[in-house]
Amino acid sequence: MAWLDTRLLTVLTFFPLAWGVVGLMLPSGKDGKAVKAWSLVGTLLTFWISWILLGKFNGGTADFQFTENLPWIPGLGINYNLGVDGLSIWLIMLTTFLMPIVVLGAFTAVEERVKEFFFLLLALETGMLGAFVTLDAFLFYVFWEFMLIPMYFLIGIWGGKDRIYAAMKFFIYTMVGSLLMLVALFYLMHQHQLQFGSYSAAITDLYKLKLAGDGWFSVQGLLFLAFALAFAIKVPLFPLHTWLPDAHVQAPTAGSVVLAGVLLKMGGYGFLRFAFPLFPQAVAQYQMVFMALGAIAIVYGAWVAMVQPDIKKLVAYSSVSHMGYVVIGLFSLNTVGVTGSIYQMLNHGISTGALFLLVGMIYERRHTREISDFGGITKVMPLFAVAFLIVTLSSVALPGTNGFIGEFLILLGTWKTSQWTAVVAGTGVIFGAVYMLWMFQRVMFGPLKNPENEKLKDLSLREALVLLPLLVMAVWMGIKPNLFFNKMDASVAAFLERSVVKSAANDQAPSAPSQKAAPVPGASAKSKTSKI
Amino acid sequence: MSDEPLIATATTLNTIRPELLTMTFGQMAALSPWIWALGGALSMMLAAVLFKTWKWVVPALMIMATAGAAWSSTMLMDLGDQFLFNRMMLVDRFTLVFTVLFAISALVTTLSSMKYLDREGLQHPEYYILMLFSMIGMMNMVSALDLVVIFVALELMSISVYVLVGFRRADRRSNEAAVKYFVLGGAASAVFLYGSALLYGATGSINIQEILAAVEAGRAGGSLLFVLGAALVIFGFLFKVASFPFHMWMPDVYEGAPAPITGFMTTGIKAASFATFVRVMAGLGYGDGLAEAVQKHLHDILWISAALTMVIGNVIALTQVNLKRMLAYSSIAHTGYLLVGILVGPASDSGYGPIYLYLLAYTVMNLGAFAVLSALAKRGDSGINLHDMAGLSKRQPLMAFGMAVFLFSMAGIPPTAGFAAKYLLFYSAVQAGEIWITVIAVLCSAISVYYYLRVLVYMYMREPAEAGGSAGRSWMASAAVLAMIVLTLQIGVLPSRVIETAKSISKTAVPQIGQAGARAAR
Repeated sequence: MAWLDTRLLTVLTFFPLAWGVVGLMLPSGKDGKAVKAWSLVGTLLTFWISWILLGKFNGGTADFQFTENLPWIPGLGINYNLGVDGLSIWLIMLTTFLMPIVVLGAFTAVEERVKEFFFLLLALETGMLGAFVTLDAFLFYVFWEFMLIPMYFLIGIWGGKDRIYAAMKFFIYTMVGSLLMLVALFYLMHQHQLQFGSYSAAITDLYKLKLAGDGWFSVQGLLFLAFALAFAIKVPLFPLHTWLPDAHVQAPTAGSVVLAGVLLKMGGYGFLRFAFPLFPQAVAQYQMVFMALGAIAIVYGAWVAMVQPDIKKLVAYSSVSHMGYVVIGLFSLNTVGVTGSIYQMLNHGISTGALFLLVGMIYERRHTREISDFGGITKVMPLFAVAFLIVTLSSVALPGTNGFIGEFLILLGTWKTSQWTAVVAGTGVIFGAVYMLWMFQRVMFGPLKNPENEKLKDLSLREALVLLPLLVMAVWMGIKPNLFFNKMDASVAAFLERSVVKSAANDQAPSAPSQKAAPVPGASAKSKTSKI
Repeated sequence: MSDEPLIATATTLNTIRPELLTMTFGQMAALSPWIWALGGALSMMLAAVLFKTWKWVVPALMIMATAGAAWSSTMLMDLGDQFLFNRMMLVDRFTLVFTVLFAISALVTTLSSMKYLDREGLQHPEYYILMLFSMIGMMNMVSALDLVVIFVALELMSISVYVLVGFRRADRRSNEAAVKYFVLGGAASAVFLYGSALLYGATGSINIQEILAAVEAGRAGGSLLFVLGAALVIFGFLFKVASFPFHMWMPDVYEGAPAPITGFMTTGIKAASFATFVRVMAGLGYGDGLAEAVQKHLHDILWISAALTMVIGNVIALTQVNLKRMLAYSSIAHTGYLLVGILVGPASDSGYGPIYLYLLAYTVMNLGAFAVLSALAKRGDSGINLHDMAGLSKRQPLMAFGMAVFLFSMAGIPPTAGFAAKYLLFYSAVQAGEIWITVIAVLCSAISVYYYLRVLVYMYMREPAEAGGSAGRSWMASAAVLAMIVLTLQIGVLPSRVIETAKSISKTAVPQIGQAGARAAR
């Protein structure tokens, strides 16, 4: 199996797509049962392949592992260049972990065009995995854009009432951001050619570029803005978040789970892999702007979520709020904050994914998502209530659940960099508890007023199987975070080495006076103490 | 008195060099695409008269002729540059790759026309013959090194198409389109010809190589006559490729013409015009050899025209409900991107290569899209509005899938040919330091996503409005669509070979004119 070792990432990435193509040729049969089973097996096998990857992954080094490098477009220095490190390994695992759950969760929800639905899900998995494993900036862009196509159809064909509007908005928003990133990427590739005399789009090569970084609209500043726009739209960061509630609410449950679980993480991952290490000086320049936006997103998202009458919309806005933590954690630029951010991305995938699944389950039964239509559900659906409770607590970051670890680390890291941001973000935790628990109370407790709710069936075995892994993970990640940190620490340290120390050194060396007393973010980060 | 004709004859004889009276093997081999095409055209005319079954014979001959031209062109790729007919024509890789492109265009149009013409009751042999003559005109045009030859070829190409545009002669829109195209096209040809005359006055030659030699020697590059001539020639081409402000004719013509012919025009004629445009721009010394001021002047003309063409094409396309009109405006928008290619060509590493790749991708995806439209059109060329596409994915899955692939490709989304074309182009533009026009271009392609995806919305996300009968299927149209899908995806996923080709033609072909020209002048 030496062959598999050298091509593990290729196999992992393209396995779902290939499996899906075969699935298209299966007979539809009644309800497309064959296709459903086929897709479930495919995603499970993908998960198994990713386990092999995790097992062989060495957490002690920050180098890229399992690298593959084949020429793709040699004329422009673009290669088929893959590899994983501690920043991407857990996001890959998150993707492969969520997909079987999503597929199993969609068994009864999809009635029309079953084959196409599951094919698109599998194609989407290939797109997401590809974006996480690629080390070539251009190839990243290809996967990044490719992901839009299946998601567009998932929202547009199987979505709710305003699905077309939501699908369009999702597509165009993302497209606008990423096209400017493409131009910036070309500029970087061109700079590489000028500075080193050869074409290249490999990120390890692009990291070596020297770009003028003084001032807001220096070369670095503009390029950073172009990249950051693409990633901020995807995260989504206030005020670019408006596509998200539409897309989330209109998407079918499977689409919402993938969107919240993995697609939003692309934005955070993009910051980690590209925007920060490529433009350290610009990051220092814009640090406070983004921290402020992140803090606004946290509080604003929470406030808007509080007044939503629709459960799914509430969860969507809670995403805006939670992803705000990710952004401030990243921009705190110290080990604790960045580690917390990556962890929070995983948490958000698990807990928000579970929330969307729960909302989907109750929607399938009642065909409504209005909070006011419910009340007293605990009495008729006890199992559902337990699951919902655990997920809610994980989402409000109760100690002992995954959410607590992430948010706590982020706040800790942020405090070191900017205390008032930490204070504002801290209030967000409180608001978060308020809207989630209030929603839970209105839906689950109280008298069973609505007669239609009396006949509701509790979770079926399939639904329990869908939720169980998520619940286990939510608690497991809250108790044993070190299992996860072990594999990330080296890479996070290397990441900070690239993104912070260099900028601090550059700032202080020749051009120190021209910097108008920007707070040097590296100062606190250099004390890489915090063994969590 | 009696001496004068004698002297004239003597000078004429002096200019004819003996080596021109014989043809080398290479030169004859270089003519083989023409032999296929012309032979095909002549035998089609005979077959139309001789055989009662011409309805099958003529298209079969057409397919043979175009496939033969394409095949022989690919065989000749390594032949090297062949100058023909007293350096009036040049067969090099540049010519050959474009010949392949024209042949693909004519071939696919033929396949998608058969059923369409039956439905319209317009099955006449002249249709195919005219199309082949138009293709010959394109081949002449792209190989021409002489402004007059370009003009003659331009007319051959255009006049054949004027007739084809008005081919649905019982239809008012078709007639209007033909007349409009004829009058305005004639005016543009006149502008081009006048520009050529002024260039001749300024440089003393109508041969592109000699014009370039004169410019490089600093003999003409800055004179008013030259600038005026160059500007008029450029305007002539800007009309042919329908760029702002000469784009007004295009939507009406594209809407009125039979659907397959619209596909032929958007691909073949556009590619031929752009290829020749590139040759002429290189011949005028654009980017290399021109006086600074003139260079800047031409640059600005192209910059403004490109920017406005992109913006206007994309913005107006947003409001169209007729698919042919929408694709016409989208075609204007793509013209804008291609003009960016001409604008930045000399200053980037890939030269004019991105234009070839873009035209190849555009040809493939647009032919596919029009093959779909031709297959869907009901009698009277109707039934290709947005709402006619509703629920297409259930009625005709292959056509819907094809259209989806082509539209994604036009919007420039990976992994399609259109994406490969766009990134090579934008990369060259960035390389040439033209950041701002690149930013305009990418923002415009973001706008374009809306109107391309709207078609997808109708095809995939809406139910058919009424059970309106389908237009009937044709295996030939399906085969054409399938082939274009495969090509679109293949160029998108594995672009390195076409990118190498694109780079190679720009490295050998265009500078070759300069070198050969310099040699000729000495």
